[in-house]
Amino acid sequence: MKKFLMATVAAVAMVSAFPALSAERGGTMTFARYDDSTLIDPIYADRNPDIWMVTNLYDTLLRTGEGGSISGGLASDYSVAADGLSISLTLRDGISFSDGTAIEAKDVVFSLERAANADLGPWAGLLASIDSVSSDGNSITITLRNADPTIVSMLATFNTAIVSADAFAAAAGDTDQEKSSALSVDGFVGSGPFTMKSHQRGTLMQFEANDHYWRQGEDGKALPYIDGINFLVIPDDATRILKLQAGEVDGAEFIPFARVAEMEADASINMELFPSTRIIYSPINTRSERADGSANPLADLKLRQAINYATNKEALVQLVLHGAGKPVTSGLMASTTQLATDNGPLYQYDLEKAKALIAEAGVPAGTEITLTTLAGSADDGIILAALQQMWSEIGIKLKVEQVDGPTRGAKNRSGEFDIHTYGWVNDVNDPAQVAGWLGYYPTRKAVGTGWNNPEFNTLFEASNTEMDPAKRADQYARMQEIYAEAAPLLFMYETPFAVALSQSVKGYVQTPLGNNEFATTWIDR
Amino acid sequence: MSTLSYLLSRLLQIIPTFLIVMVIIFLLVRALPGDPAIAMADAKATEEQLEQIRQRLGLDQPMWMQFGYFVKNVFTGNLGDSILLKAPVTQVIIERLPASGFLTLYAVLFSVIIAGPLAFVAALNRNNWIDVSVRSIFQIGLSTPVFYIGLLLLTFLAAKLRWFPVGGYGATFGEHMYHLLLPALTVALYTSAIIMRNLRSSVIEVIDAEYVQFARAKGLPEHVILGRHVLRNAMISTVTLLGLSIGNLMSGTLVTETIFAVPGVGRLMLDAIFARDYPLIQGLTLTFAVLVSIIFLLTDMIQAWLDPRLRVS
Repeated sequence: MKKFLMATVAAVAMVSAFPALSAERGGTMTFARYDDSTLIDPIYADRNPDIWMVTNLYDTLLRTGEGGSISGGLASDYSVAADGLSISLTLRDGISFSDGTAIEAKDVVFSLERAANADLGPWAGLLASIDSVSSDGNSITITLRNADPTIVSMLATFNTAIVSADAFAAAAGDTDQEKSSALSVDGFVGSGPFTMKSHQRGTLMQFEANDHYWRQGEDGKALPYIDGINFLVIPDDATRILKLQAGEVDGAEFIPFARVAEMEADASINMELFPSTRIIYSPINTRSERADGSANPLADLKLRQAINYATNKEALVQLVLHGAGKPVTSGLMASTTQLATDNGPLYQYDLEKAKALIAEAGVPAGTEITLTTLAGSADDGIILAALQQMWSEIGIKLKVEQVDGPTRGAKNRSGEFDIHTYGWVNDVNDPAQVAGWLGYYPTRKAVGTGWNNPEFNTLFEASNTEMDPAKRADQYARMQEIYAEAAPLLFMYETPFAVALSQSVKGYVQTPLGNNEFATTWIDR
Repeated sequence: MSTLSYLLSRLLQIIPTFLIVMVIIFLLVRALPGDPAIAMADAKATEEQLEQIRQRLGLDQPMWMQFGYFVKNVFTGNLGDSILLKAPVTQVIIERLPASGFLTLYAVLFSVIIAGPLAFVAALNRNNWIDVSVRSIFQIGLSTPVFYIGLLLLTFLAAKLRWFPVGGYGATFGEHMYHLLLPALTVALYTSAIIMRNLRSSVIEVIDAEYVQFARAKGLPEHVILGRHVLRNAMISTVTLLGLSIGNLMSGTLVTETIFAVPGVGRLMLDAIFARDYPLIQGLTLTFAVLVSIIFLLTDMIQAWLDPRLRVS
């Protein structure tokens, strides 16, 4: 929690580092993105270019505020019942959608029921505890099937952002998704700081300020400070950077780490490395047999621990990230995630320990292990070359298999791999999502590794209804301990989000979840 | 055979081509490893969610039924919805095709303007220093990777000198011309090298032909010999090559489109393949098949006009 708080405090500090009164108003920002959005709807956003934009267009009932605490958003206050089985919220007075119509309790009921509907979007599972949503005037009551320690965080997450019930009712189309698509540009009605002005797929997306947005800037007037944003889609890293250097854009995201130092040396550019929840790791197949029926040496805990000790993570950070990252300290989550424990770097490079473990395991020299990497990924190429060299020291012969993303995904599901590269960014402000993904067997066989630990599974299930924060923190601490010890992953490193901005851009934040926050961005002219 | 019946016979040949393409693309797309449901839902989805997606996309139906729907939809003009872009495939292709078409034609125009005159100059100065210089320069164009030339042009002419924008497509015709100049030039440096080499050897071959020597013996002025006899005959194989190049460029400007951020179909095809977006891959491939057939038909027409023997045979 502390780490998460620190990250959030850092992010907020970045915003507040610029004196409030100096924030200038007006101007349009141009921002170069690596990929385009397809459908920015709270419940249908399923790819990062969509998810990370949602809260610019739709606001949530609660917000992750200063210090990482949850504070009021569209709801001015909230309270959780003593038994944890219901939440009461009061909708803020006088708030409106971008078309000027009032945001009412019926919109909240509609939005939350829609978000929790498993027949619609992919995120409904995060709201599985919601039994019903009702309203009385400006008061909203969410009744839960079971106590849910994550639910308050979920109300501050993109998928529960508020849409207009009337706009959906009036929109063209038969299904909810058709209506959502119809509303996505023409007839757009949002509750966030910006509205969608136009969208040319694959090229340009334009946002303009929502004049009805409720939050105020430091000058006492409504946010956002800027009049609008033009998002250009520039998939090539080098071109995005050239575009920034030529002054054609004010910001460019996903700067390759190899070029961060060059950007930092450029006086006209402000190179930002925002703390993120992004981790790079490699699932290890822990099943006793490989998919082809042969014996799997990696089923042996000692071999998994040995390759972890034989991997110099600091070196990987230098090679791949050019120093702009750090080895993971919790195997189960990035250090910025709530409830992450920090016992120093996991499996710090120790060749002697690795050799001893290999000897104990009785693994013969020349044992072959296959690393499945993404074809065309420069990072994976570097990782492979480094691991081949590092593991040869302990007698492991690392072979490579290059595949594309969907094939890697299919292999992960079918268990047809030894080890493969993978990455993760949290979508929600709670560790349950990442812990469920990496460690809880019933979710997805512990990220496809086949690792199935009854104690871990029981702790995870208990933590999902544990309302006492201290007890839940203890459960998470123990889960992280078990996970690190069992090493179902090759633990690697965490990376920041690298965004290069023109010096004139102030107050832009990319949150640890990846959300691009433009509400407090301003341009120093 | 009259020109009209020649045209008709060529048009009829397109139909079986199109049908074969439909079968091949349907089978090939499904032979790719990886599941569109997994590609679509990302890794986080549960098995139940994947099954829902497969049902929604009709992927749980037997293969022959999927093919039946596919054929029926194609003939009713419905290419389905893109999994990746959550929009009708036809609409997406219509949005993206103009940029690729513009870039292709622009590049071909550049190629012809660059390669045509220089091929003649090189051929007429066969094996002397002019010929060697022209061929060497084009050899560089041919042997340098497109992405490298593209990045060099972007770095110096766009980012440093700021004569051109760094990528993009623009909104008006004039902006398209301006934005696509560097990418078109990048592509043209490669294609013009191929065209130049081909045209140069054709010109050399034709210059030595008996009918040219006869024309010269008749005392025809040199510009008439070059224009009427040499150019027309030398162009026959070059037109074929140009036709093939246009066909390739329509779908093959992926690298250029990516570097220059041109929202074209080349980049879209790559995205579609990575996302296992079956409807979009099928739609794009069929579109390419139709376009390439039309271009080849036009190429044949021009050849038949240049060389009347083709019509007769």
